[in-house]
Amino acid sequence: MTARVVVAGIGNDFRRDDGAGPAVARLVAASTPAVDIGPIAEPLDLIGRWEAAGLAVLVDATRSGAPAGTVSLVDLGDAGARSGSSTHAIGLDRVVRLAQVLGTAPDRVVVVGIEGQDFSDGTGLSAAVERAVPLAARRVVDLVTEAS
Amino acid sequence: MTPSGASANHEIDVHGLARVEGEGSLHVAVRDGVLERVELEIFEPPRFFEAFLRGRSFEEPPDITARICGICPVAYQMSACAAIEDACGVQVDDRIGRLRRLLYCGEWIQSHALHIYLLHAPDFFGCRDAVELAALDAAVVQRGLRLKKLGNHIMETVGGRAIHPVNVRVGGFYRAPDREEITALIEPLRRAREESLETVAWVAGFDFPEIEADYRFVALSHPDHYAIEAGRVASSDGVDATPAEFALLAVEEHVARSSALHSRLNGRDPYLTGPLARYALNEAKLPKVARDAAARAGLGPVCTNPFKSVIVRAVELLFACDEALRLATDYEPPEPPAAKVVPAARAGAGATEAPRGMLLQRYELDAAGTIQSARIMPPTSQNQLTIESDVRRVVESGLELSDAELTARCELAIRNHDPCISCAAHFLDVSIDRS
Repeated sequence: MTARVVVAGIGNDFRRDDGAGPAVARLVAASTPAVDIGPIAEPLDLIGRWEAAGLAVLVDATRSGAPAGTVSLVDLGDAGARSGSSTHAIGLDRVVRLAQVLGTAPDRVVVVGIEGQDFSDGTGLSAAVERAVPLAARRVVDLVTEAS
Repeated sequence: MTPSGASANHEIDVHGLARVEGEGSLHVAVRDGVLERVELEIFEPPRFFEAFLRGRSFEEPPDITARICGICPVAYQMSACAAIEDACGVQVDDRIGRLRRLLYCGEWIQSHALHIYLLHAPDFFGCRDAVELAALDAAVVQRGLRLKKLGNHIMETVGGRAIHPVNVRVGGFYRAPDREEITALIEPLRRAREESLETVAWVAGFDFPEIEADYRFVALSHPDHYAIEAGRVASSDGVDATPAEFALLAVEEHVARSSALHSRLNGRDPYLTGPLARYALNEAKLPKVARDAAARAGLGPVCTNPFKSVIVRAVELLFACDEALRLATDYEPPEPPAAKVVPAARAGAGATEAPRGMLLQRYELDAAGTIQSARIMPPTSQNQLTIESDVRRVVESGLELSDAELTARCELAIRNHDPCISCAAHFLDVSIDRS
């Protein structure tokens, strides 16, 4: 039996490059067996949506200082992979840990990031991020294919 | 935390308080066994929402102010609508009012479930966070997650999405949900009501420090029901004011250490909004199921132990589930879904009860509906002075504790009020200085 694969875009289509994650997730879900469980606004919402998945791929815009459009990949199974601290919300690494303790975590969680540059109000991605969307989608499709 | 050599001197610095909303820190200094200073600093940058609302259209505050907070966007939307409608002399249809209340119940359910189960309860079990609590009792955390999920689902059904709902407009809603969409909430709400009853019983069994405070409570009060989305402003010392009148009574001042304004009643007296205040002023308006559960949990008509706010919050969670169930059962789609609102060159104020306390907004419009001035009073800035008093009380009663224990107690004292520092800035680092 093929493991269930889920993909979720994290972000907001109305904050320009923050919509990169949902854009990639839509592309991937349209062309692979992966189920789009997004968009996700806060990590805690993943619990209840990704149950019984062999692989969960989360796609999010990043702001690390890298050139706009840079695609990165973090496997949350890696030691030391931690999300930034948050307050009312619970960070992604803690949500993964919580799901593991509850016995509902996917076997593997991978975060694919696309470096954004414009997070202002409005729709539409900046040119560099627009060009990176198919590249990031390719990375996700490879992960989905490998898991399937 | 900065430990010191002399036991009679403490200096506690908590840099980056966990499990509260926003960025802040707490500094406590004890000299020769006497508490010298407690300062709650809010260093989240000022956000200038009031400034950039000026010059915008009267229809924009619900969407703009919702962005102040991802946990209580409905509170911002509802207070903004109430203020603009007050300025324009508009009374909305009762069906619109009930749909707003249903949406608001969704926010109370998700926010209270999040705070009780994932942010506050771990303190009472000596756990660092919800992950450790889940390792102790997975079923309990799963119950909290189910309740939170239902709150989100109500917000999605009525508001279009759970974070920053898009269906709210001045005058009502862009679209009224179909009866079938709301009817589908009834069975999940019945289960949630049972699980919120279990929640009250669960939190009532926590071990609470014996501390009582002499609070000046401020909350909305309504003659017909437990106030959420409308009412007059009442206080435990006799204030009875419209939101517009209260905006004049509550004087805000800037202090150097905080990017949140400090509120004082009549420019003098600190006060507290939130679950303890609502419960103290409106307990008799709760439905029987909630009053009975409160009595079984050992609550009288007024609770002044801030640590027991978790019980009051659980009673309000039960109330919100019961109220949402009633509203969903009786739902009639409003037609039209929004009242027509014609701008007027006037000022208006609106106040509603965010999960963590009363939220007041005031706007001045010109005849074209352009905003001339805006004022936003979030609950955390109103509560900040009282939270500092709570911490002072906790330190004074716990000087014999180690720095680590005292720091944990201080953090809990702040989390008791579920502060939303992001909203207030306009959380938390703790420092205890005994040197």
